[in-house]
Amino acid sequence: MNVNKFFELAKKANLESCELVISSDRSLDISIFKSEVESYTVADNRVVYARGIFNGKMGFAISEKDDRTTPYYLIDQIVSAAKVSESDDIAIIFEGSEKYKKRNLYNKNLALVTEQEILANLLLIEKKLQNYDKRLHEVQDVSYSQSDTSYELYNSFGLKLKTKDNYFYYVASVLAKDGDDVKSGYEVKLYSDPKELDIDEIVKNAADKALEKLGAKPCASGLYKTLINQKVTASLLGAYLSSAKADNVQKKSSLFVGKLNTSVASSKVTVIDAPLTKNMFYSYFDDEGVAKFNKPVIEKGVLKTYFHNLSTAKKDNVTPTANGSNTGGKIGISVGNLLLKPGRKNKDALLEEIGEGFYLTEVQGLHAGLNPTSGDFSLQASGFMIRNGKIAEPINLVTIAGNLLTLFKNITAVGSDSQLQLSSFITSSIVVKKLAVSGE
Amino acid sequence: MISKNSALKVLNESLKTGGDFAEIFLEETQNQSVNIDSSRTESPSTSMRYGAGIRILNKLQSVYGYTNDVSTKGLLSLASSLASSFNEERQLTVEKISTLRYKKRHLIQRPLDKVDLEEKITLLKSIEKIIREYDPLIVRSIVGLSNVVRNIEVFNSEGKHFTDQQQRIRIFLQAMASKDGVYETSFSGPGALQGFEYLSTLDLINEAKKVAKLAVDKLSAKDCPSGKMPVVIGNGFGGVIFHEAVGHPLEASAIAKGYSQFTNKVGQRVAHECVTAIDDGTIENGWGSFNIDDEGNVSTKNVLIEKGILKGYMVDRFNGRRMNAESTGAGRRQSYKYEPTSRMTNSYIAAGESTVEEIISSVKLGLYAKSLGGGSVNPATGDFNFAADEAYIIRDGKVCELVKGATLIGSGAEVLANIDMVANDLARAQGMCGAASGSIPVDVGQPTIRVSQITVGGQGGVLK
Repeated sequence: MNVNKFFELAKKANLESCELVISSDRSLDISIFKSEVESYTVADNRVVYARGIFNGKMGFAISEKDDRTTPYYLIDQIVSAAKVSESDDIAIIFEGSEKYKKRNLYNKNLALVTEQEILANLLLIEKKLQNYDKRLHEVQDVSYSQSDTSYELYNSFGLKLKTKDNYFYYVASVLAKDGDDVKSGYEVKLYSDPKELDIDEIVKNAADKALEKLGAKPCASGLYKTLINQKVTASLLGAYLSSAKADNVQKKSSLFVGKLNTSVASSKVTVIDAPLTKNMFYSYFDDEGVAKFNKPVIEKGVLKTYFHNLSTAKKDNVTPTANGSNTGGKIGISVGNLLLKPGRKNKDALLEEIGEGFYLTEVQGLHAGLNPTSGDFSLQASGFMIRNGKIAEPINLVTIAGNLLTLFKNITAVGSDSQLQLSSFITSSIVVKKLAVSGE
Repeated sequence: MISKNSALKVLNESLKTGGDFAEIFLEETQNQSVNIDSSRTESPSTSMRYGAGIRILNKLQSVYGYTNDVSTKGLLSLASSLASSFNEERQLTVEKISTLRYKKRHLIQRPLDKVDLEEKITLLKSIEKIIREYDPLIVRSIVGLSNVVRNIEVFNSEGKHFTDQQQRIRIFLQAMASKDGVYETSFSGPGALQGFEYLSTLDLINEAKKVAKLAVDKLSAKDCPSGKMPVVIGNGFGGVIFHEAVGHPLEASAIAKGYSQFTNKVGQRVAHECVTAIDDGTIENGWGSFNIDDEGNVSTKNVLIEKGILKGYMVDRFNGRRMNAESTGAGRRQSYKYEPTSRMTNSYIAAGESTVEEIISSVKLGLYAKSLGGGSVNPATGDFNFAADEAYIIRDGKVCELVKGATLIGSGAEVLANIDMVANDLARAQGMCGAASGSIPVDVGQPTIRVSQITVGGQGGVLK
C-alpha cells in the first residue's frame, strides 16, 4: 500500500483529516484425523482500512485489493459515504496520546517450531487420548493453529503506531460413549511461547470434559445455590458489561442507562479493564490510536465508567477509555481484557460452603437466548449437582433463566481460582445465592 | 481475474508432488451496507474482498492456502508451498482448460451496483419512519440494506473453468420499544439472490408495522413458563430448528466421519411419515440459491427425508471421497479464505396436509412458538437450543397470551421423531449460517408443525 499516495489524494479531495490502517496476518492451521493430516491451511492476508472526515462527517472503506488503484478507491468511497451521512457521531481523527506504554511481547521462538514438530505433537495428543480411557470411543479433531499478525496505523496528524503479535493454539475434541449415551468434550489451549505447551494438560482436559458428562440427565426444576466456573463467569461478565458500551447507553438501548456510580453488582465484585496485563492479549493502543490504560470498571459493585471511544467520550465530556474498535470500517466500542478481582477461597472451599446446589460449567446460545437491553436470559446449560459440598452427578439439557443484573447482585463469593480465558478475560469461579434451573 | 495460461501453470505446479486434484478459487466481492438509525442515515460502509484460494487433494488429505496476491507469481509461490506437503511422483498434468457453460436461473433486473445510493436511502427512510411513528413506546428504529456483488472464478485440474456472479440483497427492519426501564426488540430480515427489484416484491409497509407492533407487545408479555410441553412451531423461520437439529447432521462433513446420528441410516425411518425434508439450491432467486457451487458443481434439489425415510445427504467433493458419494452441489464457502465443505442452501420441511387451525386446536395446553430467533446445536450429540422470538400459550386449542424469554432445548433426533403434525402453509425465511467454511446465506423453512413434547426454558414457573 502506498501510504503517501493515499494522504496526497486525501489532501486533493479536501478531506479534513484521515487515517489508514494496514493489518496483515500470516497463519498456519493443521488438523489430523485417524493419524493422517486431514487439513493443512496456510494464509497470507492483508486488509487496508481507511477513514476520513469530509464536510464534518466520517466516511470509511475497506479493501483487500492492494494495487495502484487502491488509494483512489478508498478516497472515492470515503467521500461518497461522508456525503450521504447524517450520523450524529462526532467525527474525530486522533492527534495522538502523550505517552504509549509499548511493550514487545512478540515471541521469536515460535518461528523456530517446525511443521514436523507440530505434526508429532498432534499425533501424540491423538495417541494419548486413544489410550486415556476405554470409554473414549473417538478422537474427533486434533488441530493446531498459529498466527502472526502486524497492525500499522497512520494518520494525517503524523501519528504512526505499530504492533506485532503472534500466538498459537492446540484444539482437541473427543467423544465418550457409554451404551447409547454419547458426550463430547473439547479443549482449546492458547499460548504465545512454545515452551509453555503442556500436552498432558490438553489431553486430560478434553478427555475429562467428555467422560464427566456421561450419564448426564436433567435435574429437577428449582432455585439452586450455584457455583459458576471461570469460563461461564467470563461469558456472563462479557454479556453483562457489553451493555456498558457508551454508544448503547447514549442511544438509551442499554440496561446501564443512568447506572453510573450506582450499584450494578454485589460488593464482592470488582472488575478492572486491564489491557496492559502482560499476557498474549496485551495491547497498548486502540483502533483510533488512543493509548490504553488499566482502570476499574466495577469497584465493589459500583459501576465506575462506561466504555468509550473518542466520539462517545466527547459527547459525555469524559476522558476516552481507549475502547475504540474497528468493526467493518466504522469505529465501535469493544470490551476485552477484563479482570475479575479474585477472592480468597478456592473452589473446594466454595463447594463446601454451598453444601447442596448446582455447579454450572457450560452455557449455550448466548447469542440468541440473551436480551442485551433487558439483561433477561434463558440459556441451555449443563453442569453437576453439588451434594454434601462435593461435585456429584452430571446434569445436561437444562435451562438457566434470570436477569444479569439480578445475577450479579446475587454473587455471594468470588473464588481465588483466577484463570485467563480465550476471550482475554481473567475470571474466577463465582457463587450466586440462587439461580432458576429448569429441567424435569 | 487470471488467464487460462496462468491457471494452467499454477494447477500443474500444485500437482507436481502427487496431488490427485487441484483447484484455484478467485473472488472479488463488493459489499455495501447502509443503515437508517432513528431517522438518520449512518455513514454507509463499503468493502472489497479480493483474493484467491488454492486447494490440493491427495486421496483423503487436503491442503489449502489463500492470499491477496493473485499475480501469477503470487499464486505459483502459494501453489509451490502447498505442494511441499506431499512428496510423491506427479500423477497428473493438466493439458487444457475449457470454460464451462451452464444455465443461469436467477435473473436480475436492476443490478445492485447500478442503483444510486440516494434511491436506496430514500426507500429505507420511508420504511424506518413507519416503525418510528408506529407507537410512542418505540425508542429506536433501524432499517438497513445490505448489498453483495460476488464475482467468483474457479479453475480445476479436471480442466474446467467457470465464472459466476451472485448478487444478494437483504433488508433489515429492527424496532426497540421501552417502558419503565424495560426494553424489548424485534427484527425481520428478508433477502434474496436478486437485484434491487426484490424490494418491490415485498410488502415492506406491513412488515415494518409488524416489527414495531411485536416490540411494543412484548413489553407487556409475561415470562414464558418452563417444563416439558407440546410445542407448535410456526412456519418460515421456525424451520431453523430443522436446520440446526437435522440439517447440520445431514451434511457430509458430519456424516463422512461417522459423527452424525444419521450416519449409515439411508433407507431407514428417521421421522414420522408426515415429514418430508428438502435442500434446494435451485429455487429461483432464493437467498441460499446459486447457479453453481463454490467448487464448480451445479446446484440441485436434494430430497433428504421422504415421508419419514432418510433418502440422502448433502455432499461436497472432499467428504464425498470418504463416503464414496457424488457431490450434490453443496460445496460452499464464505470466501476465498475458506476451504469449501458441504453446506445447506435453502432447506425446508415440505408442506403437509393439516391446516394451521387443526394443529392449534389439537393442543390442550402448550406453547405456540410462532417465530424463532437464533440457536445452536452440538453436531456430535444433536443437543440444540433455540430462542423463541414470538411465542404464545395455547389453552384448550386457542392461542392465548404472548410470552417472552422462551428457549426450546432438546436433541435433534428426538424432536424429529416427535414431529407429529405438519400443516400446509410452507414458508421460507432468510438467515446466515456459520460453520467450518464460514458464514453463508441460507434459507430455512417449514410449514407450521406440532412437536408432541419439547423442553421449554423460561422464567415464568410451571405452565398452568
